[in-house]
Amino acid sequence: MTAAVAAGSDTFSVFGTTAALLLSEPGRLEAARAVADAELAAVDRACSRFRPDSELSRLNAAGGAITSVSELFAELIEAALRAARLTAGDVDPTCGQALEEIGYDRDFAVLRAAGGAAPRRGRPTGTVPGWRNVHLDRARRLVQLAGGAQLDLGATAKAWAADRCAEIIAAKVDSGVLVSLGGDIAVAGPAPADGWRVRVTDDHAAGPEAPGQTVTIRSGGLATSSTTVRTWALGGRRVHHIIDPATGEPARSCWRTVSVAAGCCVDANTASTAAIIRGEAAVSWLRDAGLPARLVREDGSAQITAGWPRDPGPAERA
Amino acid sequence: MRRDERFAAVARDDGIRKISKFTWRAGAIGVAGSALIAVAFGHHVAAQPGRDSGNHSGQGTIVVPAQPPAPAHGAGQVTSGAS
Repeated sequence: MTAAVAAGSDTFSVFGTTAALLLSEPGRLEAARAVADAELAAVDRACSRFRPDSELSRLNAAGGAITSVSELFAELIEAALRAARLTAGDVDPTCGQALEEIGYDRDFAVLRAAGGAAPRRGRPTGTVPGWRNVHLDRARRLVQLAGGAQLDLGATAKAWAADRCAEIIAAKVDSGVLVSLGGDIAVAGPAPADGWRVRVTDDHAAGPEAPGQTVTIRSGGLATSSTTVRTWALGGRRVHHIIDPATGEPARSCWRTVSVAAGCCVDANTASTAAIIRGEAAVSWLRDAGLPARLVREDGSAQITAGWPRDPGPAERA
Repeated sequence: MRRDERFAAVARDDGIRKISKFTWRAGAIGVAGSALIAVAFGHHVAAQPGRDSGNHSGQGTIVVPAQPPAPAHGAGQVTSGAS
């Protein structure tokens, strides 16, 4: 379980992972939870890849037809396309087919319980169709998937939902709030006097003292991407869920885990995911963008950028 | 002979006028057609993300935090890791 040790905190399951809600005004936790439940349920109805009744599933099944979507789903698609544009396509929402080809075609808990996926049949496509095949008419809320594109908003939707929940809770219940959805963290409203303490590590489900680093944040978002957690067996090898759009395969990265702080959680997650895919080039990219980040290699050594605090631990190298 | 020459000159001038008129009309039709295409499809171009559409409150870059994370000791209230 995600650690939530402060007063005014709650943990619960959502999107197949663990959510945590922390409030600076503990007495308003119940109201905040009600807001979060409603918002997260709406996001799940819009963009779950594993619900046949979701808008995303219907759009993917539309065979390229122009489809009318809800305002919420349009916003989610817009966020995904923005992430693609800002990363020159490294974070691409048209990885749906590629994920299915490597066995991630059902809820991850089901996949894990099954002990992995069977070796894929047929030849891999080799690439993803690309985000430019997603045509969004924002004003009229119309979407068309061209070129056989199949949407998967896994790279942005959870972080976007964390931002949305944090903003709405802060406004509605008048409290500082931290929302964590599977380790994608957004904060809003007044922070506690010494900030929100976050343990940065490989796995969001690890304990509050898991190997890693503790930092505090006061605003914006913090997200971590890793190749070590959402993994499964495919034939004789282990694969993970971060797809390199250039190959259509799980990214082969020099980083096992990347954490990024940004102005909001979806931007942080966009950058951390892109950094995994970019490999060594991510360091200069993050530095040039002014994004504080912590990048951990396979051997556990870490590199930091743009004001991320140095870890006093022996395993860290600045 | 001189009548034939005059006839030829008149025919030539007439031909040039016709070609000129045809050229102008073809040009005008082309311009009008281009304008129609621009009107018909212009909104699609503007609505397509990734083409400086100015969506998302005009955010053209990943937004940096107001302040970077600060160092802290001990356990965290929450954990940021992959899920």
